[in-house]
Amino acid sequence: MTVQAIRKATVGQNGVGAFLLQCKRLDFHYCDWAGSSRGMNSFLRHTLAKFAAANPQVEMTVSPRPRRHPVIIGHYINGREKAICVRNLQKEQILEKAELLRDASGEKQKRVTKPVRSINESVRGVWSPYHGGGIHV
Amino acid sequence: MLSRTIRKSILDTRISPSALPPTFLLPYRARYFNNTAQHVEPPTDGFNASQVAPTSSENAQPAESTSSATSPITAPTSASSTATLSPSVKELLPLLAAQPSHYISAHIHGRPYLVTAGDIVRLPFRMPGVVPGDVLRLNRASSLGSRDYTLKGAPYLDERIFECRARVMGTESEPMRFKEKTKRRNRKVNVVKSKHKFTILRISELKINDLESIES
Repeated sequence: MTVQAIRKATVGQNGVGAFLLQCKRLDFHYCDWAGSSRGMNSFLRHTLAKFAAANPQVEMTVSPRPRRHPVIIGHYINGREKAICVRNLQKEQILEKAELLRDASGEKQKRVTKPVRSINESVRGVWSPYHGGGIHV
Repeated sequence: MLSRTIRKSILDTRISPSALPPTFLLPYRARYFNNTAQHVEPPTDGFNASQVAPTSSENAQPAESTSSATSPITAPTSASSTATLSPSVKELLPLLAAQPSHYISAHIHGRPYLVTAGDIVRLPFRMPGVVPGDVLRLNRASSLGSRDYTLKGAPYLDERIFECRARVMGTESEPMRFKEKTKRRNRKVNVVKSKHKFTILRISELKINDLESIES
């Protein structure tokens, strides 16, 4: 007799019952001296507090990264991370990039042609010619 | 009809604010600070009377949010809110509801999506004014069925029959597309780049209402 694992009755799907945002952390890196960080510094000064307050489920960290361009790095639940360089951008553009990272799922970008993805079994089953009424010729 | 609306609004106020989690946990708060124009209607009492999920900001489907969400009486949705069900539907709808799994072909912006509960739908556009975690109620559908029964709408189903809700999961993108444009007898090749964004929904709930709640 072979050992069998306990079969799961259901599979957890995010969003069916509870919803977890996939983005768990956003890192903002800036440089005090360089001009490409000017927009980033003003974003950190004026917008980030409100953005963080509006998204309490995301951890936000700010750290200096001297002599480098400013970067936003998003860390996701699936273990991947996504980085966007925001050099020479205004603070409104940086906010758009931060929202992009917040809304992303963390998966690698794929070309998808079918709109619906499902793990459920077919509701109506497979058609069979041997069942049902049939047509008498 | 009017008495139904009034009763639903009374029922709605009965949900005390203490039953809801604190406001900073509600997901749709993220939308407010960005100061962009909102296309999504706030939930009105005529619509979300059945709202029980505490963390859901429920909105009508954007295809008809402006018209039907504000005034459900004068909504142009196929005379569904006042008409009574036909006897064959009354007879067979409990049988359909009793079968284990269901599908629905819900319409968003005129396009049908044949879904079951738990499916992921990638819309062919980026929906403005939504943030991840929002709950949309899909109230247009052209067919609803189980293994042995199918209820078809002409062209759409009565929206009191079912409750279909979708959760906004986020926005996804695609790899950059490159299209080379050439003209004859010309060395220049123009490369056009495009990259689109798509809103991802997950069908969180698909429920068939029983006849008493439809008729009342």
